[in-house]
Amino acid sequence: MSGPDDTLTEFERNARTVLEESVRRIDARTRSRLNQARHAALQAAPARRPSWWQGFALMPAAGAAAAALLVAVVLWHRAPERSPALAFDAQHAVVEDMDLLTDKDSIDLMEEWDGSFYEWAAAQSDGGAESNS
Amino acid sequence: MPEFATLASPYSMPAALHGDVDLSDPEEQTRTRALNQFLAGVELKAFKIAQAALRHEDDALDAVQDAMMQLARAYADRPAEQWKPLFYRILENRIRDMQRRRTVRGRVMAWLPIRGEDDDEDFDPVAQAPSAEPQPVRRLELAEAMGALEQALEALPPRQRQAFLLRTLEGLDVAETAAAMGCSEGSVKTHYFRAVQTLRAQLGELYL
Repeated sequence: MSGPDDTLTEFERNARTVLEESVRRIDARTRSRLNQARHAALQAAPARRPSWWQGFALMPAAGAAAAALLVAVVLWHRAPERSPALAFDAQHAVVEDMDLLTDKDSIDLMEEWDGSFYEWAAAQSDGGAESNS
Repeated sequence: MPEFATLASPYSMPAALHGDVDLSDPEEQTRTRALNQFLAGVELKAFKIAQAALRHEDDALDAVQDAMMQLARAYADRPAEQWKPLFYRILENRIRDMQRRRTVRGRVMAWLPIRGEDDDEDFDPVAQAPSAEPQPVRRLELAEAMGALEQALEALPPRQRQAFLLRTLEGLDVAETAAAMGCSEGSVKTHYFRAVQTLRAQLGELYL
């Protein structure tokens, strides 16, 4: 109750007395049915899981989050580091390739490619460098 | 008689009744016992409130049973002090659903006297006996007052009746009544004040 009975008017006190009496007079059959309804409700109450079970129930979500984090970290570490200069070189190389493909003279030069000469020149260059050192 | 078997103390309920409840868990046992105690404490008053609104004994029993079931299923884990407003909120919703269904069906049950006394197939004087036995004169006075009050309550608007019964019979305070009715505390005060005024005008100050 919100407060003691002395805060109620006489009418309210009388009304409460009458209502409580009407509750007391509820017949045995109705009481029995209410009792059965209560037992049925208690049986329907879901069992509370122990605290360790609640933690266990969260494990799939926690595991998925941890796996996603691990993959992100691995990918981040394995990604090639590109300095601004390297990035510029890569862009430059692409532009050069485009020039080679679009320039007719360059294509002719490629068709007349003499691989053995360039391999020999490279070997000579390496040999010269070694002999100088 | 089977009725007597179910009239045992709520605390003597056999543990085996709890189907999926882990009885080895003391916390679970405490919660179940608390819920049982709470429901045992409100079921009779809830029945009277539902009966006053629905004016049908079986419907009132159904409404109370549904409210018990819903509370146990959905709110048993809530703190026990929240159960009462929640329970009466659920009960009120259930009562409203039933009243709406009746309206849709076009029934006029609301104008008929309370059923259950006239249409009992087997009248059992023992089962029908009241649980307490006041003095005969006092019983008569109370019976007359009860009849007059119930009649006057029937004539009240539903919200006024609900506010009056929750405050006077169930003893909810203004905040709890507001939570149970789903309205503001100011509305509860207004509904309650008007209900008391109307009832007093009909029944008199000293009708007991």
